[in-house]
Amino acid sequence: MDDRRVNWLCRVVAGLVIIFLVAPLAVIVIASFTPTALITFPPQGFSLKWYANVFQGSTHFMEGLANSLKLGLIATGIDVFLGVFAALSVCRYDFKGKNALLNYFTSPMYVPSVAFAFVLLQVYSQIGGVPGMARLLIGHLVIILPYIVRNTVSVLHVFNWTLEDAATSLGAGPAQVFFRITLPLAKPGVLAGALLAFLYSFDEVALSSLLSTPRFVTLPIRIMNYMELTFDPTLAAISTLLIVASLVLILLMERFVGLDMFVK
Amino acid sequence: MERRRQAALLALPAALALLVFFLIPMGYIFFRTVGNDGVADFAAFFRDPFYLDILWTTLRVSLISTGLSLVLGYPAAYYMARTRSRVRKWMMIVILFPFLVSAVVRSYGWMVILGANGLLNQALMALGVIARPLKLLNTEGAVVIGMIHLLIPYMILSLVGVLQSIDPNVEYAAYSLGATPAQTFRKVVFPLSLPGVLSGCVLVFTMSMTSYVTPKLLGGSKFRMMATMVVQEINVNFDWSAASAVSYILLGVILAVQVVIVLLTSGYMKRMGGGKNG
Repeated sequence: MDDRRVNWLCRVVAGLVIIFLVAPLAVIVIASFTPTALITFPPQGFSLKWYANVFQGSTHFMEGLANSLKLGLIATGIDVFLGVFAALSVCRYDFKGKNALLNYFTSPMYVPSVAFAFVLLQVYSQIGGVPGMARLLIGHLVIILPYIVRNTVSVLHVFNWTLEDAATSLGAGPAQVFFRITLPLAKPGVLAGALLAFLYSFDEVALSSLLSTPRFVTLPIRIMNYMELTFDPTLAAISTLLIVASLVLILLMERFVGLDMFVK
Repeated sequence: MERRRQAALLALPAALALLVFFLIPMGYIFFRTVGNDGVADFAAFFRDPFYLDILWTTLRVSLISTGLSLVLGYPAAYYMARTRSRVRKWMMIVILFPFLVSAVVRSYGWMVILGANGLLNQALMALGVIARPLKLLNTEGAVVIGMIHLLIPYMILSLVGVLQSIDPNVEYAAYSLGATPAQTFRKVVFPLSLPGVLSGCVLVFTMSMTSYVTPKLLGGSKFRMMATMVVQEINVNFDWSAASAVSYILLGVILAVQVVIVLLTSGYMKRMGGGKNG
């Protein structure tokens, strides 16, 4: 009966939300192929010249991309170690204050990154001589850790710990148990956490705006700087490349690990 | 005893890293700020209408964005939770995909659409609806649109999980007892989904309060929110004491929201009988 109308309404809203989410991205992709500097619809022809522009040294986009990838990969790599061990410590063992410890590990989430960036800026200006990349890396290590801890904990929370005991009783050493039993079973959480952490680092702007030095500038900052000077479809071209990369990433994840781990 | 040592060893690296790079810097700078007469800076913030206006703008934009994300995200999440798995899979991809795209890129998309020479103005002028371009970009409305675009995936993801866990038979039971869809929603579905609503709203509100890219790119240079103000005080005005007042007040608001939410949820749990089976 009326249930139908409810379903219909929900379906319409869901459709609108999806159009709303995809529209700006679709616009960017189409705009990246326009031959004119002013983006018009429908585009007057077809051109790849803005893509050629992206790879020119004067935009510094490739240099920024290399910096962002380096920063994100190093920070995520270190934090996977720290975060997985931290998650194990609060999930595998029972002790007083383990909730407090978990809250401590995830506490950077509750601090606005711009406030933390300002704190680091003041510390660096006191110490002096902290090189460009380290200035950002320290900040990123802190702000992305909660994502890895939380996602790993969410898997370990429902983990059957007797599996570890079984492996031990069959003669496996602690390292073997960890690498052959615990880690493979916790993999979806670790992967989801690592992915979110890397993306957060890759997209991060507030920390970079305050802490980066002219010698180490990340891609989002390069794009924003370019935007302030020239508003031409070169921006659409670099954006399209990032959009395509995200699309490939999400399809790979859907294929290999599933997307349900993002549903809380 | 052995196990305690193991737990401590595992926790140690992360705990130390946070201590050295997070807790000590935060504490050190906080006490230095207070010691350097930072209290006067906080007082100055609350006396200055310019700053109060920024705080109010930030709260307003965040509340509107959260409210609209909930109103739009709820039906979408409900549809996702109840639909066939193939449709659900594709919706999941479409919702998560923009989520992975950088906020700078997503704001840029809205700049192309809403700009003075943007697509919306072009379309409206071609249709003869308007004669001169409307000012759509660099307005609070543009910021709210960008903010919803940025944050509605978080809302939907928080809601889908809870809505999925509600047995559809509970709704059928309500219908068969004569409840209208509105009653079923108000008395059955919505109360059961409240934990997801709450966590989604807190997430979206907090992220909106602290967001930097969206207000900067879509609001223009005259539009200020707390996070953009901190950066402006540092990079443009070189006024570090104002920056620290703004950033600590932002931090204070965020922590206050968290505390209120913890109190609210514990109250809610008690009313629900203390557990899932209550």
